[in-house]
Amino acid sequence: MDKKTKIVGEPSKRVDALEKVLGTARYIGDYKVPGMLYARVLRSSHPHSKIVSLDISKAEKVPGVRAVITCQDFVNNGCFGRFMNDQFILAYKKVRYAGEGIAAVAADTPEAAYQGILAIECILEPLPILSDMERALDPDAPQVGPDRVDGVHPNLVVHNIVHKGEPLELIQDCPVQLERKYHTPHQDHAYLETEGALAIPFSDGSLTIYSTDQSPFINQSILMQVLGLPQTKIRVIQPVIGGSFGGKNDLSYQTSAQVAALALKTGQPVRMTFSREESTIAGYMRDAMNMYVRIGADQDGTLRALSFLGILDSGAYASGSYLTTWRACIHATGAYRFDAAHVDLKSVYTNNGYSGAFRGYGNTEVCFAIEQAIDELADRLGIDPIEFRLKNCLKLGDTTPHGHTLKESVGLTECIEKVRALSDWDAKRKAFSKHNQTSSSLRKGLGVAIFFHGVSLGAEGVDNASSTIQVNGDYTISLSSGLTDYGQGSRTVYTLIAAEELGVNPDRIIMYRPDTDTSISSGPTVASRATVVGGNAARLAAQNLAKIINLAAADILHCRPDQLQRVGESFIGPDEEPVSWEMVIQHARQMGLILSNQSKWEAPQIDWNFETGQGIPYYAYHYGAQVAEVEVDLDTGKILVKDIWAAHDAGRVIFPQGAAGQLYGGIAQGIGYALMEEVIYDDGYLQNLNFNEYTIPTACDVPDIHGCFVETDNPIGPYGAKNIAEPAMVPTAPAVLNAVAHATGQRIYEIPASLEKVLLMRDLQRPAQHNLPNHKFLVTRQKILKVQ
Amino acid sequence: MNIAFKLNGKKTSVTIPEDITLLTMLREHLNLTGTKQGCEIGECGACSVLLDGKLVNSCLVLAPQVEGREVVTIEGIRGLDGGPNDLQQNFIDHGAIQCGYCTPGMILASEALLSAHLKPSRSEIREALSGNLCRCTGYQQIVDAVEATAKSRNLQSEGQKNNG
Repeated sequence: MDKKTKIVGEPSKRVDALEKVLGTARYIGDYKVPGMLYARVLRSSHPHSKIVSLDISKAEKVPGVRAVITCQDFVNNGCFGRFMNDQFILAYKKVRYAGEGIAAVAADTPEAAYQGILAIECILEPLPILSDMERALDPDAPQVGPDRVDGVHPNLVVHNIVHKGEPLELIQDCPVQLERKYHTPHQDHAYLETEGALAIPFSDGSLTIYSTDQSPFINQSILMQVLGLPQTKIRVIQPVIGGSFGGKNDLSYQTSAQVAALALKTGQPVRMTFSREESTIAGYMRDAMNMYVRIGADQDGTLRALSFLGILDSGAYASGSYLTTWRACIHATGAYRFDAAHVDLKSVYTNNGYSGAFRGYGNTEVCFAIEQAIDELADRLGIDPIEFRLKNCLKLGDTTPHGHTLKESVGLTECIEKVRALSDWDAKRKAFSKHNQTSSSLRKGLGVAIFFHGVSLGAEGVDNASSTIQVNGDYTISLSSGLTDYGQGSRTVYTLIAAEELGVNPDRIIMYRPDTDTSISSGPTVASRATVVGGNAARLAAQNLAKIINLAAADILHCRPDQLQRVGESFIGPDEEPVSWEMVIQHARQMGLILSNQSKWEAPQIDWNFETGQGIPYYAYHYGAQVAEVEVDLDTGKILVKDIWAAHDAGRVIFPQGAAGQLYGGIAQGIGYALMEEVIYDDGYLQNLNFNEYTIPTACDVPDIHGCFVETDNPIGPYGAKNIAEPAMVPTAPAVLNAVAHATGQRIYEIPASLEKVLLMRDLQRPAQHNLPNHKFLVTRQKILKVQ
Repeated sequence: MNIAFKLNGKKTSVTIPEDITLLTMLREHLNLTGTKQGCEIGECGACSVLLDGKLVNSCLVLAPQVEGREVVTIEGIRGLDGGPNDLQQNFIDHGAIQCGYCTPGMILASEALLSAHLKPSRSEIREALSGNLCRCTGYQQIVDAVEATAKSRNLQSEGQKNNG
C-alpha cells in the first residue's frame, strides 16, 4: 500500500463546512431569480387508473397562471427510464401509482399555481389495483408493467440468478437445515431537503437547470431526449444538495423536465419545490422484499449449501430496481463459501408507489435475511455466532459462490476479530445469556452480522469518470468532477487527492460542483463509486498536471524532475534554495506550458454471465462486521440499542473524518430500518407521509458508535481505497435483530421490529382505509368513475 | 400588516400578510434563507430559530406572534469577526456536517441548550437535539461538537471567574 502520503489519510476538514455552518449554503429552495414563476403538479389520487379525459383549458384561464403542460408537451409523450423506458415525465394514458404527476402548472405565485391545479379537469377510470407482490406474476394479475412482445409476464421487471451446483439436493443430505421466510419493508430516504428544480430560459432557446439531482449528466441526457434539444442547449448545474442516499434520481429528473418545458413555454424562469408530503408520495422508496431461505450445514459447523429465492416489489416503475435486483442477487449468499448455491430473485411491478435506489441497493435487504439465517443456524448447532462466521466466511484465496477467486484485499476475518475484541464479545455474550435466565423483564442481547459489498458498478454498467484541473491566475487550482457531492463528502476527497499529488495546501484548491458545461460526464453518482472511480480520475488529472509543473521547477532549479523535492509547497533541487509555488507557476507560464489537464479513469472490465449466473461480478469488495448490544423490555416491547461496534475494510481511508461520518450515518439509517421505518401502502395508498407518521431515528435513538477501519490495500482504488457510503448501513439491521434474538430467545423475521412484534411476535393490522390521507397538497379534483 | 421586532440584534420592521408563519416571513419576506423549510409540521427542526432565547420551530409560529419580541436565526450566530463562532467552528472541526440541511437548526438547538446548561452530559445533549432530525450524520459528531463547545465555554467562564 502507498502509505507515504502527507495529506491523504491525515486529519482534514470538509471543503463545504463553512458555508453550511453559517447558513449561507444555497439549496434549490433558496434560489430566486427575477421574473421567476412557481410550478406545481396535479398528482393522481388513485393508484391505478386509465386517464379518460384531461382538460387544461380552464386552468390556463386562471388569473396568474402562465402555462399548463401535460405529456403532450414532450417528445414521445415524455417517455423515459434510466434502465427501462417505462416512465413518463407526466402520465400518459394511465396512472400507475397514487402520487404520479398528471399535469403541471406555472404561475406568478404558488397560490395561483394551486388554483390552476384545481381548475384542471381530469377524469380517471379505476383499474384493478395490484398491491400484493406475491400475486404480481399470476396469469390473471392486473397488468401494471408495459406491454411485452417476448411472452414474458408484463409485471416482471427483471429476473436474476446466481447458480453454483445443485443446493437443494445437498441441503436434503445436511444434518442441520433451516428454512425461513423473511420480509423487509419499503423505506423512505427521508433526506431533510425535498426535491426541486429551477429552469432558466435564454433568448437563444437554451436552458440552464438547477436541480436536486444525484447525477446531472443523466438529467441532461433525459432532458435532451424528452425536450428534443441538443446537448449545447441544456446546461445542468448542481446546487448544494441536502442529502440523497440514492433517492434523488427519477423524481428530480421528472421535475427538471417539467420546469424546463414550462420555462420554454413561458419564456420565464420556473421553480418547483416540494412539501414533505408531496416528496414522499411522488418520489420512490427502497423496494420491499420477501425472501425464502433454505440453508444446510454439517454437524461440525461447515456451511454446505444455500437456496435463496426472493421477490422484490418495485412498484409502478422499474427505476433502479432493474439493477437493485442484480446487486441483491450477487450479495444474497452473504460473505460465505458454499459448495452449492442458488439465488433466484425477481422484481415485479405493483401499484405500491415505486421503488428504486436506496443505500445498499439490494444488499441491505438480502443481508437482513442471510445474516439472520446464519445466526439461527449457529444457534441450532450450538456454535458461537462469531466462531461460526469465522469458520465459513470468505478469506484470501477463497472462491465466492459466483466463481470469483479472491486474490487480494480481503479483510473480513480481521474485521470480525476486531469487533469481537472491541465489544468484549466473549465475556459479554456469556454474561447476557446468564442474565437472561433470571426473571428480569429487561433482557440483554449481543448480536453480530458480517457482509461484503461490491465496489462501484461491477456488471451494472460502464464504469469511468473524468476530472479537469487547472492552475488559475491567482495560483489557486480549479478542480472538477462529473460526480456529485450531495453531502457524502466527495468534493473533500477529491480536494485531498489533488493536494496530495500536487504537493500543495488543500486550501489552494477550489473543487467545483458539477456543471455539465464545465465538467465531464462521469456516469452516475451511485454505488458508493465516487471515491474509487472519481478519486482515480482526480488523481490522474493532478498527477498529469504535476508532471507539467515539475518541468518548470526542474528548469528553474537546473535539475532533472526526478531530483525535485518539496518542502511545504516549495520546490527544492539538489543544490539550490527553495523556490515557491508561485515562482514555479510564473516560470511555467514563461516557458509557455499550459497548466491544465483533463483525465479519464476507466475501471477494469468485469465478466458476468447473466444466463449462467456465474462470473466476476465486481473487481473488489468492501468487507465488514458489526456487533449490536440491545436491551429489550419484555413488558413494553421496547428495544434500546445500547451500543454498536463496527469494523470495516474500506481499503485505505482518504478522509478519516468523512469516512467516520458515513459510518455513523449509515448505522443510524440501519437502526431506523431495523426498528421503526416502514412505508405503509394500504391497497396502493401510501399512509405515512410526514415525519409524524414516518419516524426516523433521533439523537436519542442512536448510541455512541465505536467504529474502526481495517485498511487493506485495494490495488484498483486510489492509494488503496474502496468505499464506505452504502456498506456502513448494510449489516446494522441484522446485527440488531440477532441481538434481539439473543435477548429474547425469539426471532423476528420481518422488520421493523416494532413493539407489537416483540411482544406478540406479530404485527397489529390497522383497518383498511382505502383512501389517501387528506393532505393539502393532494388535489382530489380528479373525478374518479365508479368501479364497474 | 406591519410588524416590528428585533432580528439578530437589529430593530426590524416588515409588512407582511397576517396569515404567514415566521418561517415564511424569514425566508420569503426577509430573504434569510439560512432557516430551512423541512416538514412544516414541527417534527424535523430544520426551521429552528430562537424566540426570546427559546428554541422554536418557526413553521409553528405565526409571524405576527413575534411582534415586539426578539428572534435569532442562523444568520445571527457569528463570532466577533463575523466568521463562525466557537460552536460553528466545532461543528467544522468535528465533522458534524454532511449535507448541511439540518445544520442551521442543529446549531440553534445547541445554542439553546448551552445557554441553559453549562455542563450537559452526552445524553443530555442528545435529548436537547432530539427535536432536530439529521439523516446523514448519525448525530455522533454533532454531539462531539456540542460537548467540545460546552467544555471550552466552561473553561472560559471559570477563567473569567478566577480573574475576576
